Amino acid sequence: MSILLDRSNRVLIQGATGQMGTFFVEDARKYGTKIVAGVSPGREGTTVGGDVPVFASVRTAREETGADTAIVFVPPAAVLGATIEAIEAGCRLVVATADELPVLDTIEIRAAARANGTAFVGPNSPGLISPGKAKLGFMPSFCYREGSVGVISRSGSLSYEGAKRLTLAGIGQSTVIGIGGDPVKGTTAAEALALFHDDPETSAVLYLGEIGGSEEIFVAEYAARADAKPVAALIVGHTAPPGKKMGHAAALIGSKAEGHEAKIAMLRAAGVHIADGVGNVVSATQQALASSKTRGARVA
Amino acid sequence: MMMLEHEGKRLLASAGVPVPDGTLISARDSIASAARTIAAFPVAAKAQVRSGGRGKQGGVRRVEAAGDFERTVAALFDTAYGGERPEAVLIEPWLAIERESYLSVAVDGRAEGYVVLYSPTGGVDIEDGPPPARYEVGAPWNFRVHALRKVLQEVESDYQWREKVVALAQRLVRIAATHDCSTIEINPLAKLADGSLVAADAKVARDEWAHFRNAEIRALREAEQRRGDELLRASLEMGHMYVRLDGDIALISGGAGMTMAAMDMIAEQGGRPACFLDASPGPTSTRGYRPALAMLDADPQVKVILVSVFGGGTQMQRVASSMKELMAERKSKKPMVFRLDGTNVDQVPAILGEFGAHNHARLEDAVAEAVRLAGTHA
Repeated sequence: MSILLDRSNRVLIQGATGQMGTFFVEDARKYGTKIVAGVSPGREGTTVGGDVPVFASVRTAREETGADTAIVFVPPAAVLGATIEAIEAGCRLVVATADELPVLDTIEIRAAARANGTAFVGPNSPGLISPGKAKLGFMPSFCYREGSVGVISRSGSLSYEGAKRLTLAGIGQSTVIGIGGDPVKGTTAAEALALFHDDPETSAVLYLGEIGGSEEIFVAEYAARADAKPVAALIVGHTAPPGKKMGHAAALIGSKAEGHEAKIAMLRAAGVHIADGVGNVVSATQQALASSKTRGARVA
Repeated sequence: MMMLEHEGKRLLASAGVPVPDGTLISARDSIASAARTIAAFPVAAKAQVRSGGRGKQGGVRRVEAAGDFERTVAALFDTAYGGERPEAVLIEPWLAIERESYLSVAVDGRAEGYVVLYSPTGGVDIEDGPPPARYEVGAPWNFRVHALRKVLQEVESDYQWREKVVALAQRLVRIAATHDCSTIEINPLAKLADGSLVAADAKVARDEWAHFRNAEIRALREAEQRRGDELLRASLEMGHMYVRLDGDIALISGGAGMTMAAMDMIAEQGGRPACFLDASPGPTSTRGYRPALAMLDADPQVKVILVSVFGGGTQMQRVASSMKELMAERKSKKPMVFRLDGTNVDQVPAILGEFGAHNHARLEDAVAEAVRLAGTHA
């Protein structure tokens, strides 16, 4: 299995006729993603990627094609409207990769997603991929292979690097999800962990985090649970100065608890296998996988 | 983006928050003319800077009499606070404060929206005291007076003051949601002798990504870009995120996480990063990378430039071709190290080879090379 995304998702693209949408249709279909519709008001009746029909609204696209998953490629000012349309039309998963989204818009989208029971991934995220099954984002496909490690990342490029290292070492992934670099998230680390916890195919989790924010508190809380799957983690930014925003809005050390040292100490105390740098993600994940075997044996 | 105190107070005052009646001196040479408008002493003279800890560094002065005014204000203009020279000095009547509290409204990931923080004792030592009381609002329309009151009952026994604070917090959440503020911090929140409440200081941060719907935020962004020198300005105009550090190995990178991962690895291998430079929000083209390279080439602190990009939507053969074009026009002889990976990376070695550069397959090797070169160019 995997989380949120597998071969069954029927995907519609909002903003399908833009440059990003067109590139995505080609790349994601090549990977196996079922793309069934585009939504581009004013362009209804046309097609993208050769034969994908374009509709004026999400509701029509759903009625005509059975689409149940939306990915949004519209400018930041239009993301709020597009995502809420997809949520209220009944999509089960909505992905918004856009960065530069006002945080108030994310707050509103998240509230709407919760009220409608929709999973929302993003913003400021590379999306997600369930290797060997489907991808919803621009991640380079060759970095991934199918397997049993769930990966959660606050950063897009770091998730590519981390996954590629696992893949080269022969460690496959169940799903790699980019939860995004903003302070308020569609899917939080805690929520992604809960999904991986319930996924029988995932045997361990690699968490790729950063300085700033409080996301890692929930990673530590999960790892400390008696029934937790083993967790490995990398926290980047030990060379980042306090009080400066390191690209991501949430990557800012405001207090000592948000610094590298405090986060590592907290995660280590919870039993998380720590990678000291990006060069150690494979060994930390291997340790987690090894402990999952002994844990499994104990339970059996 | 942090607003200056007087800018933040203007925003709060426009929404009915009581603030002191201040006079702004926006240039050193207008001190004398401002002095003539002050009716009564003592006054507070406050350096207008964005960095924190101003009070502890002497950036707020009490001026007893007209005779001391010009000298004191001039001294404020001439001093840097947290590395920042004041753009202006705000003059306010000296308040007879009976007690100081702390109140803030801020975006918070755990709260999935806004959080209200209150501490019965405010002032410059707030960070050393016990953590403030916390009310998780979430989406701004979920603010409930009774829910905040319940939280404050635990820490604030003066019910008249408590009710004033609750009403103010409600107003601040509304202001934050209306004006795209990520933080509104009032410290101290002052209680005067007559029991009235006044925002004696204000730190207001705006969400820069709301620029498309807010002219004030657009103006703040433009002003921030203008504060950098010409080279930095050109880079920021491309959307690059830049933080200067004190080392000598500069990074041109893509993605905040990978940029920090590369910085950390430079340090692990005994080198020192010269900057955080995430070029991914800008165009990944010759035009996009040119100002970043020009800035780093001109920076005397930088000895080596490491280009480390792992692209998904960014196609790496295009990045490589941009680098080739830039190398052809470049005058600087500073060594450059490349590690490009991601979509279409198979085409990269041939393109870099055309100008005699090597593409490192692994970040470790690229960083080792950069650290070695920084050592030999000492």
